[in-house]
This record gives sequence, C-alpha cells and structure tokens, in this order.
Amino acid sequence: MVEVFAVASGKGGTGKTTSTLALGMALADDYDVTVIDADTGMANLLFHTGLSDRETTLHEVLGGDEPVEAAIYERFGMDVIPCGTSLSGFREADPARLREVVATVAEQTDVILLDSAATLGSRSAVLPIVLADRVVIVVQPTIPAISDGLKVQEYATTYGTGIAGVLFNRVTQDEGIDRVSDKAQQYFEGEILASIPESEEVREARRASQPLLAYAPESEAARSYRNATDSLTVRDGEEGTVADRFRNAVIPEL
Amino acid sequence: MNLPQGRLLRQRVLSSPETVLTGALDRRLTGYARLEPQETLLLSADRVGVVTFVDGVPVAAYHTAPDASGTDALTEIASSGPYRLGLYELEESALDRIHESESARVPPEMPARVLGGDQQLIERTRQRAPNDRLESESNGRDSLAAVEAFLENEQQIEAIRDRAQSEAESRADEWNLPVE
Repeated sequence: MVEVFAVASGKGGTGKTTSTLALGMALADDYDVTVIDADTGMANLLFHTGLSDRETTLHEVLGGDEPVEAAIYERFGMDVIPCGTSLSGFREADPARLREVVATVAEQTDVILLDSAATLGSRSAVLPIVLADRVVIVVQPTIPAISDGLKVQEYATTYGTGIAGVLFNRVTQDEGIDRVSDKAQQYFEGEILASIPESEEVREARRASQPLLAYAPESEAARSYRNATDSLTVRDGEEGTVADRFRNAVIPEL
Repeated sequence: MNLPQGRLLRQRVLSSPETVLTGALDRRLTGYARLEPQETLLLSADRVGVVTFVDGVPVAAYHTAPDASGTDALTEIASSGPYRLGLYELEESALDRIHESESARVPPEMPARVLGGDQQLIERTRQRAPNDRLESESNGRDSLAAVEAFLENEQQIEAIRDRAQSEAESRADEWNLPVE
C-alpha cells in the first residue's frame, strides 16, 4: 500500500515542516513513512532533522547527479529525503524529476509526505499538490491563512488531488477556536484534524534540530498531532500502480 | 473613494499583510498603504485595498471591487494575498475626507486583528494610538471573533474560492498542468 500526501499551506509561517514531521512520526507507529522536502527553493526539513551537514540531498537527485537512494536518511523512525539550501543546487535541480523520485520511493514505503512550498506562485511550488493523492492543509486561525488554505484546496481539486484534512496550527487562544473550527469545516472538503497549540517546545525542538515528537513527545502540541493522525485514514494504493501513475504523470518539461 | 497621490516611500511584493502595519508603525507613517492583489494581474480585475495611517496608527480602510469600507474592506484585503504593496506619505489634511467617513474608519488595532492577529503588533498599535481613539473606537472584539465574522460571510468565501479556481485553471494553462 502507499498513499502520497502533500502538506501545504500557500503561506509561510504556519508550521508546515513541523507538522509534516509530526504527522510522519505519528504515522510511523503503524506505517513505513518517507518524508520528502519538496520545497526545493527554501529547504527546511534538514534543519529539523539534524541533517544540515549531509552533502547528498534531493537537489543532487533532481540535478541528475545521484540516485534517490543516496539521499534517503533513516531518522526518527522514518526515511527522510532532505533538500539542500545552496543556490546552485536549486538552479540545477529539475523539479519535474520529483515525479520519478516519488515513483521510486512509492515502491518501498507505505506513506509519503511531501513538505511543500509556502506559496502557489510558481509551477515547482504547485507540483507537490499536483502529484499527491491528497493534501493536508496547515493553517493558522487568521483570515489571511484560512484564505490561503482555501486557495490551496481550490488548486488541489482543480488538479484532481483530494483533501485529507485541515490542521489549525499555532493556536494561541483556547477560547473561540472550536467555534472558528466548526465554521471553517463547512468550507473545507476534508475534516478539521486537530487544533495544535502554539508552544515553546516547538521552537526548542527546532533549535535542537529534532522533530517535536522526538524532542517533547508528551507536550500538548505533540499529543494534538497524534490525535490528528487518528482521524487520518491512510488509503490503500498498490505500490506498482502508484509508481506507474507517477512515472506516467503528464508533467511536461519546463 | 479617491486620495491625492502621496510620495512613494516603498514598493514591494509581500505575502503577509501584517508586514504593512509593522512598517507603517515603525516609520510613524502619516499617509496610506495601497495593496493590490497579485491575482489582479492574472485575472484582469481592478481590486485595490487602501489603509490610511496617522503617526503609524491605522485610521481608515477601503477596497474597490468589491466596494467595501471599514472592517469589511480589511477582511477583503486579508483574504487577497499575495500583494504588490505601495507605501505612500501624505499630509494629514489630505486624508481628512476619508477620515471623516464613519463607514471607512476602523478602531486602531482592528487592522492588526484582521490582517493576522499578532498580539504583539496589536499591543504596540494600542500603545501608540491616541487615548481618545482607544476610548471611542476600540470595540474590544478579539482576533478570533474577526475570523468568525469572516467565516460567517459565505458570499465572501465563495468569491475567494471562485477566484482561486479561476487562478488555478489559468495557471494550469500557463504551466501546462493536467486539470481534472
């Protein structure tokens, strides 16, 4: 089985990378999980997973210099494919090769999480949403973030990608969030998976180069992420079928 | 609603509208910010949001297409990013006309609540605001209440979704992406 999720927001600062790794670690209790940093222009995953000194990353794979296996690192019970931060690596990376990377990984894992770019402004930023089976939308409970989350949903459905659910992240006010969540539910096609409180532990985990669920597994935020995955049913997809689908996906050259 | 052209201080593209408020507060701007959604360029609509300031504190807001003023204009701005921003300096007397419009006036901290809800920015704005404005105009509505009000406006949300769908289709065309 394999299902590919894009974790997306359309806006920076919502905690996408933290959420991607938290969902990944929580799902790793039951599934083989691979997390891929698909934000090739502003890589973040490597800083959250203690991989900032690795020379081979997704950039080298997308640049055609290395096979995908060389960029897979076992971290925190997951397979992690980080992206590099150099400008030359970004320039040489061909985003369309992401399709082949996902197809190869799909043959050896149960769940693929694509940490996506914080924008919908370019073709490479939108590509993970096009390639995924479903999208997890990460929003803060603010008007700009919810609006951008709705835009992600419209992009996804336009490109035939489903909505797995919505995470309300970095919630600072307990009072009123349930009402906001209930009202938002009517506009989103997936379930509101959880409300994750803003917490100092998230910042500390980032400074310690660890995912939240490794750094502070008993924190309220970590518990909320685990609850979110309880509502996220991973769908069965045949490895071969998914791999073929990605290899054959119509992603023309830039 | 028309304002005289001010002196351009800054022009840039930004994704977070809160940045405008921080910039105006830091500069103690008297003038206005003009925010044009980037999608306007793509979809050929004339949609512009304006927020006016005195000494860095927001005073009034309006929006074109849809025509809205006050808090409704702020909500429209909040849901339309990313933007092309122009920050303009203008004599306070040139802003009198819009500042006399009750429908366009907003409580000092309301833009910060609607455009992002950053508590530090809300506090800084309240500290800078003149006491008489805090007493007469602040309505105590919190940031989540502003979000709730936004979510109750089905028409506005449908408009956001419709625009995003058109944008996604138009980009699919431009980027040669498959559409369902």
